[in-house]
Amino acid sequence: MNPPDPAALRRRKANFAERHFDRLLVAPAITVLLLIGVFPLVYLLMVSFQQITMSEENRAFAGLLNYSRLFTDTRFWESVLHTLFIGAIALPLELLLGLAMAQLLLDKLPGRQVFVALLVLPTVISPIVSGATWALLFDNRFGPINQMIGWVVGHPVTILWTVKPDLVYPAILLCEVWQWTPFMFLLLLAALSNVDKSQLEAAAIDGAGFWRTFFRIVLPAIRPVLAIAILIRALDLFRVFDIIWALTKGGPGTMTETVSVFNYTQGFQQFETSYTAAASLVIVIILSVVIMVALRRMRIDR
Amino acid sequence: MNIRRIVPASIAGMLVGAAALALIGGAHAADSAAQRAVEAAKKYSGKTITIVWEAGLQSLDPLNFSGPMWEKLTGIKVKVIEVPTEEMFTKIMQEHRAGTGAYDALNVIPAWMPDLALAGALEPLDAYVDKFGYREELKEIAPTYRDNQMTFNGKIYGFPDDGDVFVMYYRKDIFGDPKTQADFKAKFKYDLAPPKTWKQFDEIGQFLTDRMSKDGVYGAAFFRQAPYAMFMFEERFRNEGGKFFDAAAMKATVNSDVGVRVFNEMRNENKFMPPGVETFGFVENLAAFAKGSTAMTISWPPYGRWTAGYGTDEKALQWVPKTQIAGKVGYALPPGGHPELAAGFDLSVASTSKNKEAAYLFIQWLNSREISTQRVQLPYTLRDPFRVNHYTDKVYLSRWPDAKDYLATLKAASESGLLDLSLLQTDKYEDALRKGITRLWAGEDAKKILDDVAKQWDDTTKAVGVEKQKAAYANWASKSGAYPK
Amino acid sequence: MIPRRRLGVLVARYVAAVALVLAFLFPVYWLFMTSLKTADEIFSFPPTWWPASLQFGNFMVLFKDGDAGAVWNSFVLATSSTVLAMILGTMCAYALARFRTGGEHLSNWILSQRMIPPIAVVFPIFLLYAWLGLVDTFTGLILLYTAFNLPYVIWMMNGYVRDIPLELEESALVDGCTRWQVLWKVVFPMARSGLVATAIFTFVFAWNDFIFALVLSRTEVTTYTVQVTHYFGGQSNFWTKIAAMSVLGTLPVFVAVTFMQRWLVRGISMGAVKG
Repeated sequence: MNPPDPAALRRRKANFAERHFDRLLVAPAITVLLLIGVFPLVYLLMVSFQQITMSEENRAFAGLLNYSRLFTDTRFWESVLHTLFIGAIALPLELLLGLAMAQLLLDKLPGRQVFVALLVLPTVISPIVSGATWALLFDNRFGPINQMIGWVVGHPVTILWTVKPDLVYPAILLCEVWQWTPFMFLLLLAALSNVDKSQLEAAAIDGAGFWRTFFRIVLPAIRPVLAIAILIRALDLFRVFDIIWALTKGGPGTMTETVSVFNYTQGFQQFETSYTAAASLVIVIILSVVIMVALRRMRIDR
Repeated sequence: MNIRRIVPASIAGMLVGAAALALIGGAHAADSAAQRAVEAAKKYSGKTITIVWEAGLQSLDPLNFSGPMWEKLTGIKVKVIEVPTEEMFTKIMQEHRAGTGAYDALNVIPAWMPDLALAGALEPLDAYVDKFGYREELKEIAPTYRDNQMTFNGKIYGFPDDGDVFVMYYRKDIFGDPKTQADFKAKFKYDLAPPKTWKQFDEIGQFLTDRMSKDGVYGAAFFRQAPYAMFMFEERFRNEGGKFFDAAAMKATVNSDVGVRVFNEMRNENKFMPPGVETFGFVENLAAFAKGSTAMTISWPPYGRWTAGYGTDEKALQWVPKTQIAGKVGYALPPGGHPELAAGFDLSVASTSKNKEAAYLFIQWLNSREISTQRVQLPYTLRDPFRVNHYTDKVYLSRWPDAKDYLATLKAASESGLLDLSLLQTDKYEDALRKGITRLWAGEDAKKILDDVAKQWDDTTKAVGVEKQKAAYANWASKSGAYPK
Repeated sequence: MIPRRRLGVLVARYVAAVALVLAFLFPVYWLFMTSLKTADEIFSFPPTWWPASLQFGNFMVLFKDGDAGAVWNSFVLATSSTVLAMILGTMCAYALARFRTGGEHLSNWILSQRMIPPIAVVFPIFLLYAWLGLVDTFTGLILLYTAFNLPYVIWMMNGYVRDIPLELEESALVDGCTRWQVLWKVVFPMARSGLVATAIFTFVFAWNDFIFALVLSRTEVTTYTVQVTHYFGGQSNFWTKIAAMSVLGTLPVFVAVTFMQRWLVRGISMGAVKG
């Protein structure tokens, strides 16, 4: 055999890279994901069939013990309900508000850069910090919110945002929407700005009004990004934790306990390792089903 | 000034001398536990040991004082692992389960001891105690802490290192005002004084609020946030005669008439307290008292030091609301006379540590008579007096004019205190109670709430194993501080 | 001469923008002010809107005590993992968008990674890291943040890449570029605004993480989020430190975002340059 010709070697390497281009692109990311993603799931699966608690690490196969306990655990299913409730209200609010804000700041405006930079700020703050800040804002005595309400009403008020059942959800939702609307805003701003200008101009020349243009041209154009943004945000809402923990710790009672809070107290504080593993897997399965359905619908529409 | 133990007064001088020698790095002199620990530890010179400590203010002790001193004396470096209070239990258990050996010494809240000991996370210390002759000085820890917070199932798992207890603080000037006293006596037929019963507390509190709320002063305030109110409930419930469980059947009796009454009284009291008291935490309550807006409150010993102005010009205590009532604060036992030894801290050794003996020697030294006396007097400390000699220490008594009353009250509390409930999976029981309290402030019916709490307790007992929990409860209930005698 | 209706709309937009900024920034303002108050002012009734004197000492204390180092740790972790995630993720997203590599299964699996609540997996990951010796290391956390951000990056960039008209890439190929060159010379520049938007939030997610930083660090890699929780005690509440540390932890991100969004805007105004 002749010794390999360096130029031919290079060409072969380049061809390899070209032919397996797509797989080479995907490989590094997959490697990292596998490293971190596989073991935890396998662990959770294994452990959910065992009986590991705070006092003992009983690794004997216990069958569906944890799962059957889960299905009759009203506290768990209530936490799922609470989580869905928060998501169902917060997501549309964030979406509409974010879209409106993006539309508002889309075209030229003096100082627009400053506005955009400032409006992104709430999302940039750590949820722990924002939870603590809102706790301070909502403080009955030392917080400005009750003070401002007092100005409007004309006398000092006593409003216990984090204690009274009627007020806890508004407080949580306010904090949540405040923090994450800018996220939607920025994403949608980027998407709206990529809408084909020539199409918009053509529509304007044809005399189409704002809403017509919006629904016929803009919405379809931003659909991919919009769909992903909604999906990502919905998943994140499902995991909401810090804000609730800072404001109410899931209280009063278990009224604002979400899935993450449930997982935290049972898994983290009380070391019900096996039980919470089962709970987490059930959650993942539910979410997967929902996402699959949503993705399928998105693909069909596209 | 009498030192209670029958020892020659020269010992006091010797201890001071020994401490001085220890500071210079000198050798043998007195045969105290601290000295023995230092001597024995010198052979580990050059090693690093880790200790888990509550993050923030608490950690300043090992970071700025005891850690550097220990290193100077023995050559052992101390690495302080600060962990937020809420996460301490979790991180200790996680590291134990993973077998990392990353923690050598630990700070452990006594109520966690059954769970941690049973999980095998704590090293039994009896052998070390005997090896390094610490039995004598252990006896000198104040009775309630010594008898209640040191052992589990007969074995020593930690050294009580913090005299956490609830004290009643009241405004001497308000209580001592002649006109107020006269009007009170006329109305209620007994002398105005720190309340001995909760009925008296309600009467005094309402009376003072009626009288002074127009000036912005209320009869009392408490930290009503659930984690704190839970301790107060545990205390009050037992002072009023309540029992947590029917020991024979191991059924929860927290929803008895006593419990319901206590719950309702707690909620009714909020009416004469500052509006929004349901959201008061440790600092809000302190601010209200220190600024003079409340005449009574109950809290841990630091309130007493800080409202007297001790240490509050330390940078570390800048966040403490400035006291406007220095010299006007009186100290008493809470109504019922049996205060809760709420929380507290023990020093322990992790069972997975690779430096067990070195870690043990460090905690023996920290906990020893001479070193602990210095530590509880650090201006920024959160460690409260817990040894018999602390209450009569000359230096401490001179720290502020009313320090003698303060220490006397703490001493009385250390003799009659009540232990936090601790069983297996204590957090589940505490969590149910905390949630019940949030529902109380939300306005639900007290009986319904407590019935739910009792049910959750029973469910947890069943999940843990009735017989196992029965044994753990019997173990706890047999301690002197479980129920008032 | 600007037509009056146009001017009216402009003014209305301006007013609305200012109102939005005021509403959204009020809590930030309060946090910022809290970091400059004394403890008494934080717990004052009525609440203090502007402190009597600005307590910059609150910040100096953090630097003196070394706590501010936590912000540096966060910076290192977030920057490294963002760069890594953006590069790996965009490459992967491009393959998914143009070649449908791995088909639905791969992209669904990738998205599913984001469905896993961190709380559920943090303990198994701790076990894994303890075994690998990665607890309390920079490498460990960088790897973790990268892994957790990859699904987000991949899915977002997937959307943005699809927005790029195929003709541009095809004409580049026809011009003789290799696929790698197409990626570098056409795709990355065209997706610039999407890249920036995604990078911003990737950075923010890593920067603001708490639960992983808490469990996977002991003393060496304390991030600013964990450091802030050190100030919440059972018998203490360093509100000045909490606020000051929060401001310290937020400012760098704010600066970074402001810096990066210039590209965002430029991308916007450039729009789709079409023939």
